[in-house]
Amino acid sequence: MSDVSQPIAAAEQPPRIAIFFDGVTSRRREVTLALLDQLEIVETGEAAIRWAYADIRRADSPAGLLRLSCTSAPPLARLEVRDTQLASDIVTRCARLDEHRTSRRGVAKIVGWSVAAAASLVAVVLFGMPLAADRLAPLVPEALQQRIGDAAEVQVKAIFGGGVCNDPEGQAAFTKLVNRIRDAAGLDASVKSAVLPTSVPNAFALPGGKVYMLKGLLDRADNPDEVAGILAHEFGHLKHHDNMRGLIYNGGTSFLIGLLFGDVTGSSAVIFASRSVVEASYSRDAEQAADTFAIEMMHALGRSPKPAAELMYRITGKEGGKGITILASHPLTEDRLARMTKEDQPPSGPPLLTAQEWKALKGICGGSGKV
Amino acid sequence: MNDFQWAPVGPPLPVSPPPLPPARVDFTGDRGDFRRLVTKGAALELVTFGFYRFWLVTDIRRHLWSNTSVNGDAAEYTGRAKELLLGFLFALAILVPIYLAYFLVTIEVERFQGFASTPLFISFYAFGQFAIYRARRYRLTRTVWRGVRFWMDGSGWAYSLRAMLWGLLVFLTLGLALPWREASLERYKMQHSHYGDLNGDFVGDGWTFFKRGWWLWLLSPVAIIIFPLAPFFYAEFKARQWRWWLSGIRIGGVSLESKLPHDAFYGLYWKVIGWTMLLSMALGMYVSICTALVVKLGGGSLEDVVGGDGFNSIPLLALTVIGYFAMALAFNIVMRVYLQRDLWAKVLETTHVHGIEAAANVRASGELASALGEGFADGLDVAGF
Ligand SMILES: [Zn+2]
Repeated sequence: MSDVSQPIAAAEQPPRIAIFFDGVTSRRREVTLALLDQLEIVETGEAAIRWAYADIRRADSPAGLLRLSCTSAPPLARLEVRDTQLASDIVTRCARLDEHRTSRRGVAKIVGWSVAAAASLVAVVLFGMPLAADRLAPLVPEALQQRIGDAAEVQVKAIFGGGVCNDPEGQAAFTKLVNRIRDAAGLDASVKSAVLPTSVPNAFALPGGKVYMLKGLLDRADNPDEVAGILAHEFGHLKHHDNMRGLIYNGGTSFLIGLLFGDVTGSSAVIFASRSVVEASYSRDAEQAADTFAIEMMHALGRSPKPAAELMYRITGKEGGKGITILASHPLTEDRLARMTKEDQPPSGPPLLTAQEWKALKGICGGSGKV
Repeated sequence: MNDFQWAPVGPPLPVSPPPLPPARVDFTGDRGDFRRLVTKGAALELVTFGFYRFWLVTDIRRHLWSNTSVNGDAAEYTGRAKELLLGFLFALAILVPIYLAYFLVTIEVERFQGFASTPLFISFYAFGQFAIYRARRYRLTRTVWRGVRFWMDGSGWAYSLRAMLWGLLVFLTLGLALPWREASLERYKMQHSHYGDLNGDFVGDGWTFFKRGWWLWLLSPVAIIIFPLAPFFYAEFKARQWRWWLSGIRIGGVSLESKLPHDAFYGLYWKVIGWTMLLSMALGMYVSICTALVVKLGGGSLEDVVGGDGFNSIPLLALTVIGYFAMALAFNIVMRVYLQRDLWAKVLETTHVHGIEAAANVRASGELASALGEGFADGLDVAGF
C-alpha cells in the first residue's frame, strides 16, 4: 500500500483490518474497522461494535503494535492494529488516548509526596519519638515493666551463667550500700539489686526496678565511693524510666526508619547505620541525665562523684579518637571524668561502708575478694 | 492487501487438524528500553526513599509482560502501582498490631524460659508463605492474554500450612526433601490457577527434579569451600529448576515444555559478579580519592581523618554515604537487567507451548484479587515465583 493515496471517503479505502478480542472469550477475531463518527469494529456475520473515540485508551503492547481498550466496553476488550497508517489514523482521532498514563507531572507528584512523607517520618523520629517515649514511659503499667524486667533478667542470667553472689556478709554490706543510695534517690523498696558472678566489668539497670552489678566491676574498684557512684548512675536510669523510654524509642525509630528506606538499597546497612546514629544520640542524652543524677545523689550523701568516674576511666581508658563519636552510645569516659572532677568535693558525710564491710562486699562472690 | 498481511509475527491460524508444531513463545522487548526504564526507576527510587518501588515494579512487569507473546499474541499486565501502594498500606495496618502482639508475647514467654520465643518466628514464616501465595494470585489476576485474564482461587492459609509442614520435612532431611516440597506446593498453586474457564495443573514430580539436581545437593559443601564454584552451582540449580517447573505446567489442554540448557545462566551470574566486583572497586577508589582530598583540604593527617575503627571526618562520612548510594543504585540496575530481563528472555526463548488450540475460545471467568499479598511480601521481605 506504498503509493495508495488515502481519500477521506470511506468507500474508497482499502480494507482496514485488525484483530479484536471482545474481553469475554479468548477468540481471536479478524475484523475490519470503519473510522466513522465512532470507531466501528465489524466482524463478518456479527453485529458491528462501536467505540466512541473519547473512550478509547492505549493499552500496553509490544513495539509495532497499537493496542486499544475502551472505557465503555468490557475492561479487557482489546483491539490490535499492526498497520502503521491505520494506527496513526486512529491515534489522531482519539484525543484522550494517553490520558490514563503516568505523565511527567504524575512522576513529579510521586516524588513530591514521597519527599513529604520522608520529611515527616524524619521529623517524627527526631522530635516525635523522644517526646512520645518521655510521655509514654511513665505511663507503662508497673506490672508490664515488671514482666519485661523479668524476661530480661532470665536472659541476663542465662548469659552470665545464672545465680547471684550471695555470701551473707558481703550481701549485708551490699544491701546497706544500696539502701543508702536508694533512700537518697527517693526510690521505694521494690527496687532490687544483686551482684552477678562474671568478670565483665559493668553494671546495668533493668525495667521494673532491678540493678545489677557485675563482679568484674567490683574487683576493679578500690573504695565504696567508686561503686556507689556507679550504682547511683544506674538508679538514675531507673528513676528516669530510661529502659522503657529506650524500648519505646528504639522500637519506634527502627520501625519508622525501616518504613522509610524500604528496599531502596536492598541491604539493611543504611537502616542500621542511621538507626545507630539516631539511637546513640538519644542514649547519650539519657546517660548525661543519669550522670547528673549520680552527682546529685553523691553530693546528697556527702561524698564525691569523682571516684566513680575514675573507676570507669580505669576500665575503658581514653576513648576519644576511636571511631566516630556520633556513633557512641555513652559520653566519652574522659569527658565524664572531667565533669565529675569539676563536681569533686571533700567528703562531708560519713563513709558509706566501714573497712570491714568493704572487705566483705569485695568477697560477696565467695573467696577472699581480689584487691 | 490480503487477509494475512497484518500478521508478520506468528503463523496464520491453523485450520487443519494435528499434528501441529508447538507454538512459539517470543520475547521482543528492547534491551535498551528496559535499561533506560530501570535506570530512571532506580534514580527515582533513590530520591523518593524507595517509595517509587511500587511504580518501578509495575513498569518492569508491564514491559516484560507486553513484550512476551505466545503464538503471536502478546500478553498484558494490567496491575497498577497504586494497587501495590494500597496493598502495602493495608499490610502495614495488619502487620503493625501483629508486631506489637509479637513483642508482648515474647515478653510473656521469655519470662518463663530464656530465649524460648525463637519458635515464634515461625508465625512470621507462616505469614511469609501466605504472602507468597497471595502475591502470585495478584500477579496472575493481572495477567491478560487474548482479552482473557488468568485467575486463582484456593486459600493462602491452606497453602501456608502446607509450606510450613514441608519446610519442616526439608529441615529434618537436610534439604533432601526439597524437590518434593517444590512439586507439592506448585501442584497446589497450579491446581488453583485458571485461565478463563480452563483449569491449571502441575505434572512435574519431585523425583524428576531430584534426579536432575541431586548431585548439586551432594556437592554443595564443595561450593562453599571453593568459592568460585558457587555461582556455577547456583546457575545450574536455577536452570534445572526453571526447566522442571515450566515443563510441568498445564492449563486445560495446553502444556508447556522447556528446553532450557543446564548452563543457560552461567553467563548471567558471572556478568553480575563481574559488575559487582567492578562497582566495588570503583567505590573503593572513590572513597580513597575522597579521603585524599579531605586530608589535603583539611590539612590534618590521615590519622586524624581515619582513626581507630572508623571515620572521624563528617564530610568524608557524607561523601562515603553518597558513594554507597550510587553503588547501590548501579547494582540495582545490573541486577534487574541481567537477572530479570535477560533471564526472562533466556527462559522464554527455550519454551514451547503444545496444544495452544485448546485456548482458542476460552470464556472469561474468575475474580480479581487484591494486592494485599504483595504488600505483605514487601513488608516481610519475601519473594516467590
Ligand atoms: Zn548508663
